[in-house]
Amino acid sequence: MKDRHSITSQLTLTRRDMLKSLAATGAFALTGSLGFSGVAAAADSQTVRAYGVTTAQLKDWSALTKSTGLKMEFIGSNNDVGVYMRDILASQMGNKADIFIFEGGTQNILGPQGAYLVIDEKNPNLKLWQRTPDVWKRSQVVVGKDGKQYGVPVIGNADSFGYFPDKLGVKPDGTSDLSWKVIFEDDRTRGRVGYDNEWNYSIGVAALYLKSSGKAKVDNPADLTPEEAKTVVDFLVARKKAGQFRTLVSSYEQQIQLLTNHEVDVLNCWEPAVRESNLKLGDGKTRYAYTEEGYYKWGHGAYIASQVKSRGNEDTVYKMLNYFLDGEYRALQARDRGYAGPNMDLAVQYATAHNWSADQIQSLKETQEKVDRKFSKPFVSTTTPSHSDAIEEEWQRFLNA
Amino acid sequence: MAILTQKLSRRAGMRTPLDRSPWLLRSFLCVWLFVVIAPLVVLLVYSFFDSSNFMMIYKPSLKTWEGIFTSGRFEVTVRTLRIALTVTLIELVLAFPSALWLAKGNCTKATRAIVLALLTIPFFLDQSSRIIVWRGILDENGLINHVLMALHVVQSPIKGMLYTETAVHFGMVVSYFPMMILPIYMAISVIDDTLISAAADLGATPARIVFDIILPLSLPGVLAGVVFTLGPALASWVEPNLLGGGFVNMLSNSVDSAYGALRYPTVAALSSFVVLMIGVIFAVLMFVTRRFADLSMSFRSLQS
Repeated sequence: MKDRHSITSQLTLTRRDMLKSLAATGAFALTGSLGFSGVAAAADSQTVRAYGVTTAQLKDWSALTKSTGLKMEFIGSNNDVGVYMRDILASQMGNKADIFIFEGGTQNILGPQGAYLVIDEKNPNLKLWQRTPDVWKRSQVVVGKDGKQYGVPVIGNADSFGYFPDKLGVKPDGTSDLSWKVIFEDDRTRGRVGYDNEWNYSIGVAALYLKSSGKAKVDNPADLTPEEAKTVVDFLVARKKAGQFRTLVSSYEQQIQLLTNHEVDVLNCWEPAVRESNLKLGDGKTRYAYTEEGYYKWGHGAYIASQVKSRGNEDTVYKMLNYFLDGEYRALQARDRGYAGPNMDLAVQYATAHNWSADQIQSLKETQEKVDRKFSKPFVSTTTPSHSDAIEEEWQRFLNA
Repeated sequence: MAILTQKLSRRAGMRTPLDRSPWLLRSFLCVWLFVVIAPLVVLLVYSFFDSSNFMMIYKPSLKTWEGIFTSGRFEVTVRTLRIALTVTLIELVLAFPSALWLAKGNCTKATRAIVLALLTIPFFLDQSSRIIVWRGILDENGLINHVLMALHVVQSPIKGMLYTETAVHFGMVVSYFPMMILPIYMAISVIDDTLISAAADLGATPARIVFDIILPLSLPGVLAGVVFTLGPALASWVEPNLLGGGFVNMLSNSVDSAYGALRYPTVAALSSFVVLMIGVIFAVLMFVTRRFADLSMSFRSLQS
C-alpha cells in the first residue's frame, strides 16, 4: 500500500482499517449472521462453498452430488452490488467461501484488488472451457478491464420490457422487434409505462435508446461519462414531467402486480415477471420484447476467492466451475428459471438423455434461439461503471423531478 | 457520578437498581456510549471523507457535504422533513381527541379494551404487507374504483389516488397512528378525575377544562407521541416506495441509492444532517413548550 489515500490498494486498507470502523457502526455484525458454520472447504473435501446471488442456485443441489460427487453449500447474497462488494471487502467473505457468484462488473474492481483469482484456463478439471463460445467466456461479465480472465460464465439473459400486444397493436405472438420508444416517448403509452427506479438497471437502456435514435451522442451505454449521464437524465426528467411514466418500480413483486392488475401497458422488467404474470393472465397475454435497439445484457460470473490458493482445494473448485458450463446445470436453470447460459446444446443433450418431455426439450431449444437473437445486439451491462458516483448523483435529479 | 446518582434518586424519591452500586450506572453509561453515541461520531467522521468508484478515499474533504447541497439531496431532506412534520401534525390532531375519548369519555371498559387491542395489532404485522394492500384498494383498477363504478357513482376510474404525495401521507398516517395515540392516552388516563370534576363544579366549560387542565397535564404524553411518530416518519421507506411509486423521493430512498454505489460518506452525511435537523426540531419544541412541560418528563407517563 503505497498511498493511504489512493483508491488502488484498498483491499489491504479495508482489512485493517475499514473493518475496524465499520464494526463500530454495526455493519460488521452482518458477518456473524450470514450463516457460515466455519472456514471454507479443506483441501480433501468435496464440498464447495459459494456466496452469491440466489438466481444462480439450483432448486435442488442433490443433482450436482449425484452426477459429480460434489456438495454445494450456497449462501445467498443481496442483489445490491454495494452490499455484495462490502461483504467481499469489509467482511472478507473469501475466508469462508470458495466461489463468488455475481453479475458482471465486480471483477473490474475486485480482480485487480486481489480478491479474485485469475482463472487457470488449462486446469484439467475445467474440461468444457475450450468448447465454450467466446460470446460467453470472453464477455465483459467475466473478463476484467485489465484483460485478465477472472470468471467463468454461469447464467445470463438480455433484459428488455414486458408488454400487452393488444394495447400496442402488434403481433400477439411476441416476435416483433419493438423500439424502446414505447417506454420513453410514445404517445400511445404515455402514462402507462412502468420504469425501474434503480439507476444501474435503468439509465443504460435510456442511453441506448438516445444513442440509437441519434438524439444524443453516447459512446458506451453501459459506462456513461458524467456528461453523458447528465444528457440522459435531462431527457428522462423531461419525459417524467411529460407524464410518460405511470410509476417507478422497485421490486420484482411490484413488477408482477403491475402486469397482472393491468396497471401499465409496458413495463421495464425481468423476464420471469412476464412468465409469472402469464400464469395468472393466461399464456401469451403479456410478452417479453424483442427490441430494435438492443438489450440490457447481463450475466452472472463465478469468481474464485483468492484465499482458495492457500486452502489447496482448487481442483474441487474447478470441478464446480466446469459443472456451471455443463448440460445438467444449464438444463435445470433454463427449465426452472428461464435463464440461458453457455453451451445450451449440452442442455438439450442432457434433457434428451434423461427423457425430458418433447415440450421441455423444445423449450430449451427456443431459449437458445431467443438468446442467440438477442445477444447479437448491444449492450453488455456492468454493475460497476467507471463513473458510478456521478451517475448515481445525476439519477437523484431524475427521482426528484 | 455518585452525586448524580444521589440527585437522581432524590428527585425520583425512590432507590433505583442503579443506585445500589456506582459501577452499575457507570457500566450502563459506557455501554450506551458505545452502542449509540460512538456510531454517531463514526457517522459524522465518515461524512468528511469521499468515495470514488465503489472505494473510500480516506482523505478529509468537504466534497460530500457540498454534494448534498448541489445534487438535489438537500431537497430530498427538506421534503422528508416537510412530509414527516405534516404527518406528525395530522396524527396529533386525530389522536388527541381520540385519546381523550378513550381515556375520559363515556366508553365502557370492554370498548376501551377492544380499541386498545386493535391499536396494537399493527405492531404484530409486517409493515410492507399492511401497506401493499392499499395499492390494490387505491389503484386505477382497485377496489374503490371498482365499487364506485359498479354503483354508477363514476363513469370512469378516478385517477391519482395512488403514486402521489397524498397517498404517501395517507399510508404514513395509517402506519404511525398507534405511536401517537398510545402515549397521549396513557398521559390523559392518569390525570386525576377529581381535578376535572372540580373544574366542572366551578363552572368551567368543557373546552376550558380541555385547554386549561387536560392539555397541559397531558403534554408529556403529547411530546412522547411526537417523538415516537416523527422519528419513524423521517425514516419511512415502505410508504414512499409502495404508495409513492417513485414520485415521492424521500430520504430513505436517497440513502438506499447512495448505499447501492457504496457511497458511505454520502450516506453518513445524509444521516448526520437528519440527526442535526431532529435535534433542532426538538430544541424548538422544548423552547416552545417550556412553560407547560419538561421534555425529560415526557416518558414518565409511560411508566404509569
